[in-house]
Amino acid sequence: MRTEELIEDLIDRTRSNMNRAEALRQLPASALNARTAADRWSALECVEHLNRYGHFYLPEIAQRMEAARYPASPEFRSGWLGDYFARTLAPKEKLNTMKTLPAMNPSGSVLDSSVLDVFIRQQQQMLKLLDGARRTDLSRVRTAVSIMPGLRIRLGDTFRVVIYHNERHLGQAERELA
Amino acid sequence: MSPTTELARIIEGEDMWEKQLDLARNEYLKVSGSVDRNLYYVQEGSLRLFMIREFEEHTIRFAYTGNFFAALDSFITGQPSELYIQAIKRSQIKVLSRARFMELVQRSPEHSALWTRVLELTIVQQLEREQDILTSSPTERYERVMQRSPQLFQEIPHKYIASYLRMTPETLSRIKKS
Repeated sequence: MRTEELIEDLIDRTRSNMNRAEALRQLPASALNARTAADRWSALECVEHLNRYGHFYLPEIAQRMEAARYPASPEFRSGWLGDYFARTLAPKEKLNTMKTLPAMNPSGSVLDSSVLDVFIRQQQQMLKLLDGARRTDLSRVRTAVSIMPGLRIRLGDTFRVVIYHNERHLGQAERELA
Repeated sequence: MSPTTELARIIEGEDMWEKQLDLARNEYLKVSGSVDRNLYYVQEGSLRLFMIREFEEHTIRFAYTGNFFAALDSFITGQPSELYIQAIKRSQIKVLSRARFMELVQRSPEHSALWTRVLELTIVQQLEREQDILTSSPTERYERVMQRSPQLFQEIPHKYIASYLRMTPETLSRIKKS
C-alpha cells in the first residue's frame, strides 16, 4: 500500500484514541476504577496496560528509526508475521481473548487518572514518530517485538500493532465503565 | 461589517458548508502530522491551536465564536502540519474544504477581494504576535495582549492564556494581581 496512506490512517486512528482517552478523563475516579467482575481489568488498568506497551515500543521505534539510513519509500509491504500480529490484536466484533504477560498485567496496581495523562503524552510521541516515518523505509526498518525476544517485524507493522492494540483496549476500557 | 463576518455570511448564503461538527470538551479536531485542508468556522465555543516543543505544549492561537480558523500551513501547501487543534469547551464548528472554498472565492472579483482582505488581516495579526514573542518583559506581553484582545481573558482558561503569553500560570497570576 502507499506509505502516505498508511501513515495518514494511523495518525487519524491515534487522534481518535486520544479523544477516547480525553473522554475517559472527564469521568469520576469511581467509574474509572470500577470493574464488571473481580478478575477483569478496570478502565484505568486497561490504559495502564497500553502505557506499559508504549513504554517498550516508543523508544524501540525511535532508536531503530534513528539508526536507519534508508531513503523514504513511497510503498509499504507488510511482512507475514507483523501482519499476523496486527490482525490478531485489532479489535473485532467477536473479540478473541488472549493472555497477557505478567509484566504487562496491571491488575492490582494502584492507579489514578495520571495514567490517562501518560497515555496522551505517549500518543503525542507516537505522532512525532509517525511523521518521522515519512522520511524512512517502513518495510526495511525493523523493530523488536515485546512478546518474543529475537524476532523482528517491519516498522510499518510495528506501528499497526501498537495502534490497533490501543484501539482494542480502549474499547475494553469503555465496556468496563458500564 | 467586518470582513470575516461578511465572508461567513456569503458562505452561509450560498449554502456552501459541507458539514457541521460537534466537538466535546478537550476533543482533538486535528493532531500533529496530519494534512488538513479545511476551513473552519466556530459557530459556538472556543478552540486552541498549539504545537509541542521539548515535550511542552505551546499555544499559538485561539478561535472563538464567530472566528474562522485553519491549520493555515497545511491549508495553503497541502503538506502535513505540526499543529494540534483542540476544543477548549464543547464547540460547534462548520467545515468547508479548500477546493470548494476556492471555487467560491474565484466566482466573483468581490469574493476574491474579500478573501484577500481576510488574509491581509491575518498577516497583520501574525506580525502582532511576532512582536509579542519579541517582547521580553512578561508584564508587557500581558498588557499588549490585554489591549488587543480583552475577550481572551473572559473566554479562555488561565493555563492556556499563560501558555499563549509564554509564561508560567504562577507568573500570570502574579501579574494579574499587581
